[in-house]
Amino acid sequence: MNAIEVTKLSKTYPGGVEAVKGIDFEVASGEVFGLLGPNGAGKSTTVGMLTTTIEPTSGSARLAGFDVAREPIATRRVSSVVFQEPVVDRSLSGRRNLEIHARLWGVEPREAAARIDELAGTFGLAELIERPAGSYSGGQRRRLEISRALVSHPRVLFLDEPTVGLDPRIRAELLEVIASLRNRTELTVLLTTHYLEEAERLCDRVAIIHAGRIVALDTPGALLAGLGRQLVEIRVDGSVNSVLATLRDRGVAGDDAFAVGSRVTVPLHDHSSGEAIAALHELGLAGAISAREPTLDDVYLRLTGDSLAVAA
Amino acid sequence: MSTAEIAIQVPQARLRALGPLATLARRRFQLTARTPRELFVPLLTPIMFALVIAPALKTALHTDASYESFVAIGTVGLLIPLNTMFSGLSVIVDRISGAQPELLTAPIPRGLLVVGNLLVALAITALQVGVLIAAAVARGIHFHATAAGILWFAAAGVLFTAGMYGLAEILASRVPRQEEYIARVPAIAILPWFLAGALFPITALPGFLTWVAKFLPLTHALALMRYGLRGDATGLHAIWGMSDRAAMAGLSLAVVGGFALLLTAASIRVFSRAAVQ
Repeated sequence: MNAIEVTKLSKTYPGGVEAVKGIDFEVASGEVFGLLGPNGAGKSTTVGMLTTTIEPTSGSARLAGFDVAREPIATRRVSSVVFQEPVVDRSLSGRRNLEIHARLWGVEPREAAARIDELAGTFGLAELIERPAGSYSGGQRRRLEISRALVSHPRVLFLDEPTVGLDPRIRAELLEVIASLRNRTELTVLLTTHYLEEAERLCDRVAIIHAGRIVALDTPGALLAGLGRQLVEIRVDGSVNSVLATLRDRGVAGDDAFAVGSRVTVPLHDHSSGEAIAALHELGLAGAISAREPTLDDVYLRLTGDSLAVAA
Repeated sequence: MSTAEIAIQVPQARLRALGPLATLARRRFQLTARTPRELFVPLLTPIMFALVIAPALKTALHTDASYESFVAIGTVGLLIPLNTMFSGLSVIVDRISGAQPELLTAPIPRGLLVVGNLLVALAITALQVGVLIAAAVARGIHFHATAAGILWFAAAGVLFTAGMYGLAEILASRVPRQEEYIARVPAIAILPWFLAGALFPITALPGFLTWVAKFLPLTHALALMRYGLRGDATGLHAIWGMSDRAAMAGLSLAVVGGFALLLTAASIRVFSRAAVQ
């Protein structure tokens, strides 16, 4: 059985803002699934609908077989959320924060105590667990929130932009923690992010979401493979469209070449970068040419005409 | 499913809710205990009225000693609204910078959050009213309470607190920021206090304001409290104009009970609806 099933799910907020426009996807049990897109793409609204804090306008979604609209309490029983913003009781100890979650999710006190100690050890919180959560650093608080989410043995864990606002060192540390969740085979993770490397590194499959629609859904490898082994980028002074047309006519670029602003990007499927650059020189396009491996930003750029890094 | 199965399942569902309710109430109590302003600030003004202003008024207006106990009970009518409004403020704090978003994803009916907060508001209010009355007694103010009278007083206090807390929860659910919430507190917590016979009988008000006062739940609550702790039914008589003291007390208790029931139900509904976008 799939852990998450989303069918034609839509959300239109009062005022007519269409945040999510009929998305479909399924997430298998044990899978780490990424929703990748810039701010305002509809990621958090999707998580909100799956966690029953946002009411869908239409469509349906099931978590571990439970309909989020018809069986909200059963849905919440099998899931946990780590929010984008810090969400802890700052004046209470880390342990108390975890205990409250355990009690509300119906974990017996004795089991909860053992589980809290185990998670505190696993996530490096053992020394901090009796301190007020308000005294934790950003990374420590995030680890506390992930531990809290796991206390109740959720079948589905939502991580909503878990590394936003953290400095690079803490972010790298937290990515290690999240990567370790993959070892919990019974756990399905839905991760939202606008960081490409997070999606590439952590996710089995990625849905790229743009303006409320899913524009691509596959494994990171397959999404990247669609752009070939390498890309050539050309910065053009004149008309990018005429350059693009010329490159296609001469067989240097295929249909998947694309132009954004003054830059033309040519995925290389059959040519090496050396061959492509030589062909560009022959065409008199010897200006700013560079070759590199494709990233998910290129996938996003080709599908939406916008850079994920800029849009985020 | 048989009728017997249904009959058994309902209390089981209620029992299952007790564990989470106790957890939520304990959490709210721990958060409140770590925020001393929530415990002490609402006490300051009523204690000032009961212990300083009432004796001063008694002297200045040449009234008798019973005026002090009249005002001491009147200040309970200020303490309860102030305390419940402070409790409502902590709901906004919880929503903006606390763990409320996490609690909204818990597998429990969301109305339990309101009930858990209400239980703590009742406990804190009881503690504060106890302190206020003890301070008044220590200051030499006399009450004439019987066991039945204390029950009338307690019932009025509990029900009025529940209603006012419901009002605070509704306001907290409707108002996005603390500043906007605080700006509304005087109109809700203080203005009715001046009209409800806290410092003088409502019959001393201009005629139309006397009628307005009769519709305020606080007027009924104060009249009941004075009936309970002073054996004085003049407040009830000013409202109902009847001669049967127990009947008037019953009617006023029904008014305060209705106020509590209506606003508690409304607060649960408003909170649960506001929790979902």
